[in-house]
Amino acid sequence: MQNFLSTEKKPIGPGPQKNRLKFLYSKKAAPYIFVSPFIISFLFLFLYPFASAVNMSFQRVLPGQVEYVGLSNFERVFNPTFYQALQNTSVYVILTVVILTVLPMIFAIFLNHKLMKYSTFFRAAIFIPALTSVIVAGTIFRMIFGDSDGAIANQILNLIGLSPLEWRYGAGTGMFLMVTLASWRWMGVNILYFLAALQNVSNDLYEAADIDGANVWQKFRNVTFPAIKPVVIFLTTISIINGFRMFEESFVFWETSSPGNIGLTVVGYIYQEGIQRNDMGFGAAIGIVLLIVILIISAIQLYLTGAFKKDD
Amino acid sequence: MKEKTSQGKLFTTLLVVLFSIVAFLALFPVISLVVASLSPASDLMRFGLSAELFLSSLEFENFEAIFSASGAQYWQWYVNSLIISGVLIVLSLFFSSMVGYALALYDFKGKRFIFLLVLLILMIPFEILMLPLFQMMIAFQLVDSYLAVMLPLIVAPIAVFFFRQYAVGLPKELMESGRVDGCTEYGIFFKIMAPLMLPSFAAMAILQGLTSWNNFLWPLLVLRSNDMFTLPVGLATLLTPYGNNYQLLFTGSVLSIVPIIILFLFFQRFFIAGLTSGGVKG
Amino acid sequence: MKKFLFLMASGALLLSGCGDNGNDGGSDNSGNEEASDGPNLEATQVIGDDVEGATELTFWNFNELHTGFFEDAVTRWNEEFPDRAIQLTAETYPIDQMHNNLLLSLQSGSGAPDIADIEVSMFANFLQGEPQMLPLNDKIEPELDNLVESRYQMYAKDGQFYGMDYHVGATVMYYNEEIMNEAGVDIDSIKTWDDYVEAGKKVVENTDAMMTTVESDETWSFQPLISQRESDYFDENGDVILDNDINVDTLQFLHDLVYEHEIAELTPGGFHHAEEYYGYMNEGGAASVMMPMWYMGRFLDYMEDLDGKMQIRPLPLWEEGGNRSAGMGGTGTVVTNQTEEPELAKDFLAYSKLTEEGNIQLWKILGFDPPRHDVWDNEEMRADNRFYDYFHDDIFDILLDVRDEIAEVNITEQTSNATQEIQSNVMHSVLRDQSKTPEEALTDAADAVRSRMSE
Repeated sequence: MQNFLSTEKKPIGPGPQKNRLKFLYSKKAAPYIFVSPFIISFLFLFLYPFASAVNMSFQRVLPGQVEYVGLSNFERVFNPTFYQALQNTSVYVILTVVILTVLPMIFAIFLNHKLMKYSTFFRAAIFIPALTSVIVAGTIFRMIFGDSDGAIANQILNLIGLSPLEWRYGAGTGMFLMVTLASWRWMGVNILYFLAALQNVSNDLYEAADIDGANVWQKFRNVTFPAIKPVVIFLTTISIINGFRMFEESFVFWETSSPGNIGLTVVGYIYQEGIQRNDMGFGAAIGIVLLIVILIISAIQLYLTGAFKKDD
Repeated sequence: MKEKTSQGKLFTTLLVVLFSIVAFLALFPVISLVVASLSPASDLMRFGLSAELFLSSLEFENFEAIFSASGAQYWQWYVNSLIISGVLIVLSLFFSSMVGYALALYDFKGKRFIFLLVLLILMIPFEILMLPLFQMMIAFQLVDSYLAVMLPLIVAPIAVFFFRQYAVGLPKELMESGRVDGCTEYGIFFKIMAPLMLPSFAAMAILQGLTSWNNFLWPLLVLRSNDMFTLPVGLATLLTPYGNNYQLLFTGSVLSIVPIIILFLFFQRFFIAGLTSGGVKG
Repeated sequence: MKKFLFLMASGALLLSGCGDNGNDGGSDNSGNEEASDGPNLEATQVIGDDVEGATELTFWNFNELHTGFFEDAVTRWNEEFPDRAIQLTAETYPIDQMHNNLLLSLQSGSGAPDIADIEVSMFANFLQGEPQMLPLNDKIEPELDNLVESRYQMYAKDGQFYGMDYHVGATVMYYNEEIMNEAGVDIDSIKTWDDYVEAGKKVVENTDAMMTTVESDETWSFQPLISQRESDYFDENGDVILDNDINVDTLQFLHDLVYEHEIAELTPGGFHHAEEYYGYMNEGGAASVMMPMWYMGRFLDYMEDLDGKMQIRPLPLWEEGGNRSAGMGGTGTVVTNQTEEPELAKDFLAYSKLTEEGNIQLWKILGFDPPRHDVWDNEEMRADNRFYDYFHDDIFDILLDVRDEIAEVNITEQTSNATQEIQSNVMHSVLRDQSKTPEEALTDAADAVRSRMSE
């Protein structure tokens, strides 16, 4: 590599090129060179597709004919199927945000507790599911939560005196499957985020709180929570966005069409309409509506948690 | 005082019991998958996974199948996934670290604006851009190529964000002394600063590796031939009721986790350190 | 790609020097990225590459068995027409991918094969706008008298035929004779659906089995029955008739089989192609199942314990003089407008699918009831094969018997939408949830499809 470098360098020698090159090496130009990959990818892989998504959402795209149809795609979006998809997705978002913020927080605090033992082992064990893909995880969930009475989840229900369930056919159980799958996969990762934040809380603070006679709740509110609040904000934001993007957790259980649309998500609806039914304009319009929903909810969430106040 | 220690012991025991249960729940599906891969596959599809299976004698037929000729397709998917993820990890770490570094440690016009753009993209689901991007791939005749799968992930905003958060904490004086030593700005980054960002590189290698290895919807769109599929896309095709390749499904799933575990073990000691800076300041 | 990586990496190296020292941080060129044409695998099969000067044609399908059929056709074609020899590259993709990819390549004007299979329920998507396929009228029209015409109308738009099917898909009843005997029912005494229900009650009473299963996730229980009664999702003008009286009554009948007469249960796994169902049926879970003729192959492949026990019969009658079958399912093979050899592709397709010889091969190789009915009593069709071994010898006598009792199915641009509505909403809410009456569910579905059409 070094040889290659030195031979390559020579031809650049003198001449007007040299000045240009010098400029490239200057402190002024360097940051722009550094960020240029982002700028390029922003323009070509984001701004352009985004503009054409907006453009497409006003079109009807058919083989051999593309026509502008005004707002008609957007008028069509607000139909019962979309509401169903949005409802499923929203329920999923709420459940995953709560479960994947509160539980990891509690677990991390315990794992970080000075009386805890084997913490490293438990941390690793809970993290392992994160390494599986949704497809792989979903495959095994389907087997565990099989419809037959002999599948293990139903055997357990049977054991505790409940009747077996057809997990993939009920709205409630279907949602349970998706949320469980997501929670199972992300729990370990989110615990790590909290653990990382908890490293910053010095024991002195707890001791000081002890001396002041603070109870457990007061210690949590005044010492622990301020330290992990940024993680809470970060995780709720990420969970909201990922929740609204959800597709695979549904795909593994029902592929692209589920009974009574119990597993239909907004992105699944985009896939169904835009790709499977080849109505790209409509698919794009659903996407734009989804974006607006996400932006509004994220803005509310960030405002409520006060994230705008600090940082840049 | 004595009472307090015994109370503490009780508390410890309770915690250990609680976490044993949690860890069992976390590991159970993984164990089930291994058991499933050692059981007759079509029975599994017919009757689901039963408790008895865990106790029954296990057989290695499925693994024999995957290592024989009928598994050739599977290994092609494996190779595809390895290539795509490998190249992506390298490229995305390379580009994203540069961007994050510049955003953190240089003062230049448009810096705040660019950082805002990074955050904005972070907020916008990729799925919205999916259809136009797909049309672009058709227009450039990239459909069914590795490049098409990789392009949208090469500069990952989440990685840029993390690198930026990490680099903010680095001492700027080191850059100055690098300049005094006659390093170019790029030399400073690669020789002096990037090595300091190692923990974040490790964390991002794991995160980007996971993302790419498990990526599904986009490859599903842009890949069309069986021999170009990545593992998740290929495995998903085995889930359809119109084939009888279930043998490959379970063994294939088990084996697909191996590289990601290796990656994790390799980088994990930096993982928490890498996450700390990124997440906490978010 | 390789070049691109190389340039990026060397560019980075160039700029990152410290004095004279090169640097290797962060620029690891993992040069194992090869051009995107991976090694050849079994999903792609080239047929006729031994013939010199053969014209290359590509063929996409979603079922490897279909490759086998065309493999035979190419061999025969090349022997018969050596001056117009063909080299066929057949590629098999998963069903969803194949249709998505075909649709998008036809839409974008490049990348489509010469010949492709399109599943009937997805065919509607390909008829939208200007169909990007070649009309096959000059081949089909001269043979129409010998064909089951309804199977070609399905793939037509504005008087143009675009697809050639593999089979008639005549729907029949498969009875497990062992169970029927145990129940004390002679299957030949079942003439009407009332008889069938009565027989079902005996089966439930005298055996551990159910009489039959009803699909809740797909439409193989509902659609054949309404087609048998000459109803449909759409009428011949393309208007929605999904919620007409016959359909409501038929759905009520299916509902009653399960909940009123209690002689049927919902199909394990949701549909008759589910692994759960194969296991259930194989173990004698149900005494009968209504499916098209091409379902024979599924018995052979997945239900080996039923070998020699299954009997095929026409469907019970709704009323005197009614139909005893219905043509269901199907895959239309089309020639795309991107082919560079339109005449050759069309001639070859007609040769493989419209000739007597071709139709005989459809039975021999695939076990399908071929669309050309004048071969049904052909000697060659009677030769021993694995289907006769599993079932019984008079399969085609039954077919000949019901030949004129197969109603046309009207396929429109909205068929995929209607199918989707029925699969994901109607069946679920009526049969599983029981949250809607058949009338409510079908009215809702019909309105949903209508509202799409008015756009």
